[in-house]
Amino acid sequence: MENMIYILYICMFVPLLLSLPLIHKTSRRIMVFLLIGISAALFISEINGLMLRLLGYNTPYVTTTVTPVTEEIIKAIPVLIYAFVVSDDPKKLVASSFAVGIGFALFENTYILVTSVDAVSIEWAIIRGFSTALMHGICTATVGYGMSFVKKHKKLFYCGTFALLMISIIYHGIFNMLVQSDSWLKYLGFVLPLTTYIPVVYELIKSVKNKKQETNAES
Amino acid sequence: MYLIANIIVCVCALAGCNYGGIKFFRPKQALYAQMITLSLGCIAFGRMFNIVRLLTDGNLTDHFQLGFLGMIGSLMFFFSANFSAVDTHLDNGAKEFSKYRLIPLAAPGLFAVLYIVLFLLSDVSALWKIQGGVLTLFAMASSYYHLKHLIFPDAAFGIVKFLKPYNLLALIYTASIFAECVAMSRSNEVLTLVCCCITGLVTAAIIPTVVRGIAKWKT
Repeated sequence: MENMIYILYICMFVPLLLSLPLIHKTSRRIMVFLLIGISAALFISEINGLMLRLLGYNTPYVTTTVTPVTEEIIKAIPVLIYAFVVSDDPKKLVASSFAVGIGFALFENTYILVTSVDAVSIEWAIIRGFSTALMHGICTATVGYGMSFVKKHKKLFYCGTFALLMISIIYHGIFNMLVQSDSWLKYLGFVLPLTTYIPVVYELIKSVKNKKQETNAES
Repeated sequence: MYLIANIIVCVCALAGCNYGGIKFFRPKQALYAQMITLSLGCIAFGRMFNIVRLLTDGNLTDHFQLGFLGMIGSLMFFFSANFSAVDTHLDNGAKEFSKYRLIPLAAPGLFAVLYIVLFLLSDVSALWKIQGGVLTLFAMASSYYHLKHLIFPDAAFGIVKFLKPYNLLALIYTASIFAECVAMSRSNEVLTLVCCCITGLVTAAIIPTVVRGIAKWKT
């Protein structure tokens, strides 16, 4: 069906937008970034379509080399604006950028589901949920962390953020290449985001626990 | 042969990155060292992309590959570490140090001349002329500070004199990846392997050198 992507966008975006005034302030910020992620996915679909046409419909090359670049740059722009204009708090930036990535993946997954409804299965949903969605979140959160230096270390911010963007683009490219491969490598792709996510979350929980213990000991 | 070459660098960079992660990604550790660790992460990711590309029947020399961004990212982190985290404290802009600001221009100058001779004036494809040009720009930026910190009389700040071995290694790394780019532009697999062996050795030695330098500075 023509215009399916826009129909889907309106169906997802409008109800979430209308729920914004009723949501608590902190959750509202995350919801706004989720909506931005959804909008970014719509915007990128147009750009990626254009890139595909320009590169002669070489889909494997475009999806492993071009789309990681366009997607990571577009996802990073709203976080960059937020860091410049509103807040450079690392916690807020990482959470917000993760939400952009998740919003992006949410829309992408839903679009694939709707357009290839006969080909999807429970396994497909599990794989998309645990690998693709997580990968988008991790990549944007990596760049978001670099942006926390925007006001504190300006010199570090420009190069550091750009270098972190490079890491997230390469990570995205590796993931796309692995999951598209026909060999056993695709299974490696499915678990790659989880192997990144679990140690990071474990470290975060550990550091929060350590901080709590320190404050308890001081008091 | 490209596969072996990339595996060598990837393993060495990954080992260095993990060691750096254990040593420096803790509270109250030098940001400088953290940037160098991230640089090794960038190298490892870039090489990982190349490995996966080669394993999925791809070719590294015909089209632009995201693995190239790993090289750029690593140079940006090296540059950022020296320029943002150290040079601000080291060089106060005094006139007496002007010769230490001028002599290091020899390194970027050499890279520029090599680029003109080996890429611009030689019979390589437009892709390699562009890639070589981009790499040269970042190599020029990072090599300037590596050479500057090798010769700068660090009387007040202290740490730079203990990090001279690191700056020498980073300079060798920059030259080695430039040579690798030259070798790949000519599809010279043997020279690529030799360059990657040097790059691998250097990346494996960088973090232990930084650890030793910081330990000496503290004592």
